[in-house]
Amino acid sequence: MPVSVPLSPLLAARVLRSPGVVFTELAERPPSAARVFFGFALWLLILPPLFAFIGTATFGWRLGVAPIVLPVPVIAAISAAYFVLLLFGLLSTAMIARWMAKTYGASESFGASLALVALVGVPLALGSVAHLYPHAFLNVLVLVPALIWSMYLLYRGLPVVLGTDPRRGMLMASSLIAYLLVAWVSLLGVTVVLWGRGIGPRIGA
Amino acid sequence: MSAKVAAVHYEDRIVTAFTAAAVLWTVFGMLAGVYVAAELVWPELGFEQPWLSFGRLRTVHTHSVIFGFGVSALIGTAFYSVQRTSHVPLFAPRLAWFVFYAWQATCVLGALSLFAGINASKEYAELEWPFDVAIAAAWISFAVVFFGTLARRRVGPIYISNWFYGALIIVVAMLHVVNSLALPATLTKSYSLYAGAQDAIVQWWYGHNAVGFLLTGGFLGMLYYFLPKQAEQPIWSYRLSIVAFWAFVYTYIWAGPHHLHYNAIPEWVQSLGVVMSLILLAPSWATMINGVMTVSGAWRKLKVDPALKFVVLSLAFYGLATFEGPMMAIRSVNMLSHFTEWTIGHVHSGALGWNALITFGTFYYLVPRLAGRPLWSAGLANVHFWLALAGVMLYVIAMWGAGVSQGLLWLSLDELGEVRYGFVDVMEAMAPYYALRLVAGGLFLAGAVLMAVNLWRTMAGIETVRVAPPAGALAAESGA
Repeated sequence: MPVSVPLSPLLAARVLRSPGVVFTELAERPPSAARVFFGFALWLLILPPLFAFIGTATFGWRLGVAPIVLPVPVIAAISAAYFVLLLFGLLSTAMIARWMAKTYGASESFGASLALVALVGVPLALGSVAHLYPHAFLNVLVLVPALIWSMYLLYRGLPVVLGTDPRRGMLMASSLIAYLLVAWVSLLGVTVVLWGRGIGPRIGA
Repeated sequence: MSAKVAAVHYEDRIVTAFTAAAVLWTVFGMLAGVYVAAELVWPELGFEQPWLSFGRLRTVHTHSVIFGFGVSALIGTAFYSVQRTSHVPLFAPRLAWFVFYAWQATCVLGALSLFAGINASKEYAELEWPFDVAIAAAWISFAVVFFGTLARRRVGPIYISNWFYGALIIVVAMLHVVNSLALPATLTKSYSLYAGAQDAIVQWWYGHNAVGFLLTGGFLGMLYYFLPKQAEQPIWSYRLSIVAFWAFVYTYIWAGPHHLHYNAIPEWVQSLGVVMSLILLAPSWATMINGVMTVSGAWRKLKVDPALKFVVLSLAFYGLATFEGPMMAIRSVNMLSHFTEWTIGHVHSGALGWNALITFGTFYYLVPRLAGRPLWSAGLANVHFWLALAGVMLYVIAMWGAGVSQGLLWLSLDELGEVRYGFVDVMEAMAPYYALRLVAGGLFLAGAVLMAVNLWRTMAGIETVRVAPPAGALAAESGA
């Protein structure tokens, strides 16, 4: 029996080095959603909140002025919320991909969608090492190239992993980006509304 | 009779003229934008010249891209599509040429007046009263040519793109006339007929509907004609497009007060603005879905047609901007976002991501057809696509980072409940984002310059192709 793709954290390094090979392997033997989630995606999702926790506790937020220092329980709560949001982002994007699959003639396997989204997120998850020093602009500088890398992986990987024509894959990838943009901006909005209602850290007094 | 058939053809030279003007305004207007972005990084670039100061140059930028680039592109594409969806040449072609020269003269002289510091102090309606009169004259002429052509149409139904262009013409005429009512004091100075909060409400009724009916409605007219043409198949759901049109027209007109949250206008007016802004999401997204589904059936064309890629991406940004807008209209979000760079990012995700990209896609389709030969370089168009995508993404990310930081810093208080960070502190925090925005704008401008070269080389030394209306239409005419 052929062995399917080893879903270890080492996969992250492989997808950065030779994405084509990893995508082809995934397409040939799509893993189950549970294996992708527990074997790979979960570990990736833990990184950004972990880095953010360590960085904020050590240095405080730096928005370009004097550092904003928060109490440790507050930082822990924010990091936990961050993890939940990333989890929601991963699962919802994979579900949206499966929902769109029929329109674009792509595979409807949830395991394949989940694996694709997790792999696409690798540059961003690793780039989140910048959270260790939570200076806003430093994070923008590191995460923008990571984002471009992720977009490249999405456009390159989607047609292969989900088995559709590259041109249809290009359209589907663009639709997913539209969803992610909207999800991201909703996150901004929800955060601001919560903040306005007094839920969240107090900056200053 | 055959001689008559040969003589009748669409009036397309004017489309070429408007397209060329729009491309020139793109380059000039975006260059002005990049220059003001650079001034925010290096203020000394103003060289202590009043005409080069941020305040004047910023209005030159918005004036050039909205009225020079946007409106020229809209009038040109409206003239192109109304003839083809009506199967008749343009009504009153000389009046159409008057529209061209009057509009370009108004835009050029208007830009010079803004450089000179002559300014009516109304955002996106900065030109003084003599220009307002000239704009009204050109616009009414545009209406006569457009509706005259529609009235003579040889096709029963009025195609959906014409509904949107028609709404653009009628509503912008109404907005422009009402908002510009003023008492002239001298040739270069007038006083608005409205005062205080009333003036603000009228101004943002105008301002937001200029966004709605010009930058959204007008460009949807462009989308509804050119997307099915490029995809070579009909709109996914024609019925949805009609429903979305009426919902859009009814809802948009009320949304303006969301620009005036927490201001000295009645709270119920603000609330009305919020509710209508939220409802607006439905027709906006109905249109986006219609567009996305139309393209998804035409994927085979993607490889050969660089134009379609721009349209696909423009739909994604249209979806983003029309979601972000209603969200920012919610008062508790607006509390943080208002007056910050987030608003600038939002405007540019619409203006660069939607308006500019859909127009670029349309021009890459249109110009080879006006020239009667293929695009000079499809490769260059592809480079333009990636420059545009990188530019707009970087721009929006920079402004999100800047805007949210700015809002948080402004709202943070010290132990005594006083504002913790002063203006200078916050400006210093913004500097790196402004530099990033300058890079983003530069990338986008570089792409636009490549397009200008590409389209110029496609069209250079060539007369606009003469296209006759379908024979059936002419036979019907001679038979009648």
